[in-house]
Formats: sequence, structure tokens, C-alpha cells
Amino acid sequence: MKKGFSGSLLAGCAGAALCAVFLAGPAFAADKTIKIGNVEPLSGPSASVGIQGKQAREMAVEEINAAGGIKSQGGAKLELVYADSKSDPTVGVTETERLINTEKVNLVTGCWNSAVTYPATQVAERYGIPFVVPVAVRDTITERGFKYVFRVAAKDSWWVRDQFRFLKDMQDETGVKLTKIAFLFENGDWGTGFAEKWREMAKKDGYEIVLDEPYPSTATDLTPVVTKLKSARPDIVMLVSNAADAILLTNTMAEMQLKPKVVLASGGGHADPKFLENTDQNALGIFDEVEWNTDVNKAGAKAANEKFKKKYGYDLTGESVDAYAAMYVIADALERAASTDPQKVRDALAATNLTAGPAMIVSYDGVQFDETGQNKNAGIVIIQVAEINGKPERVTVWPKSARRAGYTPAFPANK
Amino acid sequence: MTAVIQAALNGIMMGAMYGLTALGLTLIFGVMKVVNFAHGSLLMVGMFSAYWLIRLTGIHPYLALCIVPPILFVFGYYLQDVVIKPVFKAERQVREPLTVIIVTTGVWYVLDNLALMLFGAEYRTVRTAISNKSFALGEFIISVPKFSGFVAAMLTAAGLALFMRKTKTGMALRATSLDREAANLMGIDQYRVYNIAFGLGTAIAGIAGCVLIPFYYVYPSVGVVFDIRAFIIVVLGGLGSIPGALLGGLVIGLIESVFSQFMASTWTEAIIYAIFLVILFVKPSGFFGHKQDW
Repeated sequence: MKKGFSGSLLAGCAGAALCAVFLAGPAFAADKTIKIGNVEPLSGPSASVGIQGKQAREMAVEEINAAGGIKSQGGAKLELVYADSKSDPTVGVTETERLINTEKVNLVTGCWNSAVTYPATQVAERYGIPFVVPVAVRDTITERGFKYVFRVAAKDSWWVRDQFRFLKDMQDETGVKLTKIAFLFENGDWGTGFAEKWREMAKKDGYEIVLDEPYPSTATDLTPVVTKLKSARPDIVMLVSNAADAILLTNTMAEMQLKPKVVLASGGGHADPKFLENTDQNALGIFDEVEWNTDVNKAGAKAANEKFKKKYGYDLTGESVDAYAAMYVIADALERAASTDPQKVRDALAATNLTAGPAMIVSYDGVQFDETGQNKNAGIVIIQVAEINGKPERVTVWPKSARRAGYTPAFPANK
Repeated sequence: MTAVIQAALNGIMMGAMYGLTALGLTLIFGVMKVVNFAHGSLLMVGMFSAYWLIRLTGIHPYLALCIVPPILFVFGYYLQDVVIKPVFKAERQVREPLTVIIVTTGVWYVLDNLALMLFGAEYRTVRTAISNKSFALGEFIISVPKFSGFVAAMLTAAGLALFMRKTKTGMALRATSLDREAANLMGIDQYRVYNIAFGLGTAIAGIAGCVLIPFYYVYPSVGVVFDIRAFIIVVLGGLGSIPGALLGGLVIGLIESVFSQFMASTWTEAIIYAIFLVILFVKPSGFFGHKQDW
């Protein structure tokens, strides 16, 4: 009896569901979704930043959909489709192909790693599918005459330019003269790209390069590199590190009792929220270049960060803010394009001039792409890890106009 | 010169730990004649066990060294008994059962992804009583966690060698490794021996996990980083050889550390593989390997 009852209930449910499908059929068709493919490192050495980007995208898309989706397209909802690049260029390329051909996405975003973004954007260009790059800083990504590639973040030559501006400004401000500089960078596209520009800038600014060393991000031990750094006796150590190696490097330097006067990192691993948690006191004094910091003076930034922290348990980072803003850039373009036709979306993206809305929690004043697809307004800040109320915290120090009130940077950080 | 000696000291300590990560692999291979592709994942399990134990209870990592390996032994014992043994039995007639290798690959994927699901992809480190401590030896700096790792590796290798020589179980392991048919005829239960070998191999991965956690971070695919090295070390030292694994580890550690003082550290990887190839040409069975007829 009991069995018979549940059986008929099941049949009834199925029938009702079937009816619902039939009835709702036309309504569903009008309620279309626009698919955004995202190639991100969701496993492997950069997985933690990939997942941050994923969560930032999710928060933005939830907000956009809750606010009625793309109104010019009948309130179409955005749908995120993810692919794991594993930080591997080959995987990134095949996954981009798959997103475009199998998943039929309307746009692609990604891929954080420059080495992955470089070939993946090429795939999108070939198919004529717009590719929005929130972060991946290698210059050449937007320097190949591509029509479908747009970058929200600053490119690495700007990062390097600002790093050296910071060094000069701080030396002028404090009257400390530093001459010997060491470069230590991960041996991927990102690190080597930075290093090339460092060499030019260091020569121009008259620094003496005492060490110029690439290292593999997957190293099990960085003591040899730190030993080498120690015997080079640099005043300034410039770093480009992914997440895991940034932690290992900082802890190894503490262990080997190496305290350079200035350590200046380039975001990435050093900007990872897990970095401070895993290095704690060892990170004090480190300068890091980022696009965004929680104390940045922008309307809505604090609220967005609180919302994000409540949802996912950690602070927003420059990179996740870029991913967040990229979703609004896409929504804005789709709104103006009033179509999912790749050509029209592309043209709308190229005409972007976004200066208001939730996306403007970024540290710069707007998103506007130049003819190469680079956001001309993207900017950078430099922070220092300092002990505030007994806990290491990231404090904005440069440009001086953005410096947190009442904070005097420790420059040099060590005597 | 100071830097080179400093690098050599560090290379020896790291090398011993690389050897330790390879010990379990070489033991399992020696006895079961199976390349255990899940070895890196077992190391990951060991690291996560040590991580959570220290994180949640705040005990000293040396104490964790007494708790984690026995747990891992039981884990490995039953992993072999429940998952791998049935495949072994089905492939009884085959000398080198390929399907077992595929099963270990499956275990690798399952464990790694299980960890990804449970703990997420982020890097985790735990501050232990010996983390970031170092002492000076003349003008050289010796890291405390690495030094204790070195000592643990040496003791483990010595203990394992002693166990294999002096105990009845150890002799049964060796007999099975030499000729499993004959050992079977002598009344040794082949599958029980496999269980023990796999359990021991996993327990050693647990020791390695405890030793690494005070200075290294753990994440679900951390095993892969050590795994590739462990394979090279095992082949370099001679398949199934305990001193071979230790020596192989030391060689790799020294190359990695010392050579990087003279060239970009990315090059040392290439040099490790080059030396590996040379040794394969000159002595295909590795430092301590002997020609095997299987």
C-alpha cells in the first residue's frame, strides 16, 4: 500500500513537471541566457588566484542578474561557464576551443597566467569571439593587432614603470640612497616579461644589477636561490612570484636571516590573501604592487569588500576586483550591443566608456579601451605590509596622494 | 665559497628528504614489482594528516611523527587489501601486472580530487614549534626543520634496512621481492606481504609528510612535485634499493642546491635530467641496483 502510494505520487509529480515544462516552454525561450566562458587556473600552482577570480565573477554576475540581467535583450541572464587551464598554455588553448565550439559561449574571459592568455586569446581572435582579459599583464597580449581582445588591467610595462617611480619617489622623500638591485622572478611568461623591462629601467635609473635570477615556480626548495641572493648583497630585491613560491621565498628568507633594505614584489602571489596568513611576521616590511587594496578610497569599495568577505571568507584582491569589474564591462557592452552577435558585442566593447556603477570600486577612474584593446585608465598602487594592532596588514603607501592617513612607510624596511 | 658550502649543506638536508619521499616508492616497487603512481598522493595524505593534527591540537611536530605514520600504515595496509589486491588476484598469471599500475593511477586521481573537494586548492602552512627556526654553525645557517628532516630521513632508512634484515616479516618481504613463487611455496602469504609492504611504504610517506610540513606548504596536488623527483631518485639509486634511494636523493639535492650557485636555478632541472640519462647509459640498473630477471 505504502509503496503504491509513493509510486502514484511520483507519477503525479512527473506529470506535473511535464505539464510545467510544456506550459513554461515559450517563457523559457524568451528568458535567454548569455554564456560567458571563463578559462582560469582552478587547479595546479595558481589555483588559489583562479578560484578568487571565479568567486569575484560569481558575485558580479549574481548582482547583474538580480538587477534584471541585460535589459536591452529582454532581461537575458548571464551564465558563467568555467574551464580549468591548470596554468598550462596547452590546456588553456584546448579549453578555449572547447568553450567556443562545444559550449557555444558568447564571450570568453581569463586566464590570469600570461602564458595561458597569450595563446588562448589567439584562439578567440581566430573564431571572432570577444575575449575580455581581466588580468594577465604581459604587454604583447594586446600588441598583436587583435580586434577581439580587451584588457581591463594595466600591462606589465606600466607596472614596471610605476615600480621604478615608486623607488625614486621614496628615495627622494626619505633621502636614502640605494644602488644595488637584485631581480628574482618566476621563469614563466609573466616573470621573464617583467625582468626584461626591469633591466631597461634599472639601467636608465643608474642601478647596479647584482643578481638577475629566474626560478621555477614549482621548486620544492628555494634555499639555493636565497643563498645566492644573500651573497649578492643587494639593497633592493625585486620579485615576481606566484602564490606558493611567494610564501616559500618569504619564509626561506626569514630562515636564512636575509633582510634586504627594500623588498618590492609585483602582486600575484604576494597579493594572494593566503600570503599573509602563511607568512605572518616574516612578511613585515615587504612592499607590493597591486591594483587595489581594501583601504582604497573609492565609493562602494568597502561595501563590496564586506559583501565578498562575508560570502567567501577573505578580502577582495586587485585581481579579483578586476575580474569583478570585467563582468560589469561585459554587461555594459552587451546592454549597448542589444545583441549577442560577436561583431556587435566586439564593437560595443571597443566603444566602452564605463565611469560609474558597481565596477568603479577599482582604484582607477574608468574603463575605456584604446585601439589595441588596452584599458587606458588602468592604474596601480603600492602597499607595504605593516603591523597594525598587532597583525600584519597591507597599507597603501604610494602614490603619496593615496597613502593611508597617518602612516609613514618604513623605507628602508631594514637597516 | 661560503655560499657554496652553505648550498651544499642545504642540498644534503633537502636531498635526504627527497630520499625519504622516494623510500616508500622503492620499497613498494621492490616487493610488489609495481610502480605505485599513487605515491605522491600518499605523501599528500601524510602531509595533510600532519597538517590537521598539528593545526587542530597544536602538538609538536616531533610528536606528530609518532602519530601520523601508524595511521598511514593502517591506511596503506587496507588500501592495498581492499582496492589493489583484487586486481592482483585477477592478474595472477602475469609477471608485471599492468592493470595494477592503472589502479594506482586511479587511486592517485581519487585521493587528489578528494582532497581538492574537502580542503580546496589553497596552500596551507602551519606554524609549528620549529618553523622558521635556524641555528648558526660557524658562519653557516642551518634550518632546524630541515635538519630534523635530515635526521628523520637517516633514521628511517636505517630502521627500514634493519627491519628488512633482522625481522621475520622483513625477511618475508625480501623473499617475496626475490621470487614470489618460491616465497609462496615456502609458506609466505604473498598478499599479506604486499599489504605490509604497501602499509610500510605509506607509513614512510607519513614520516615524510610530518617532516615537510614545518617548512613546506600542502595543497591537494603537492604530491606531483615530489613524485617526479622520487621516480628519478628510485631509478638513479637502483629499483628497490634502500641505500640507493637515500643516495639518489642526496645526489639530486646537491645538484639542485650547489649548481644553482653557478647558473640560473631553472638550469639545474635540466642538469638533473642530463645526469640521470648519463647514469642510465653507464649503469642502467642504477647505483645499487642489480640485474633483475623479471
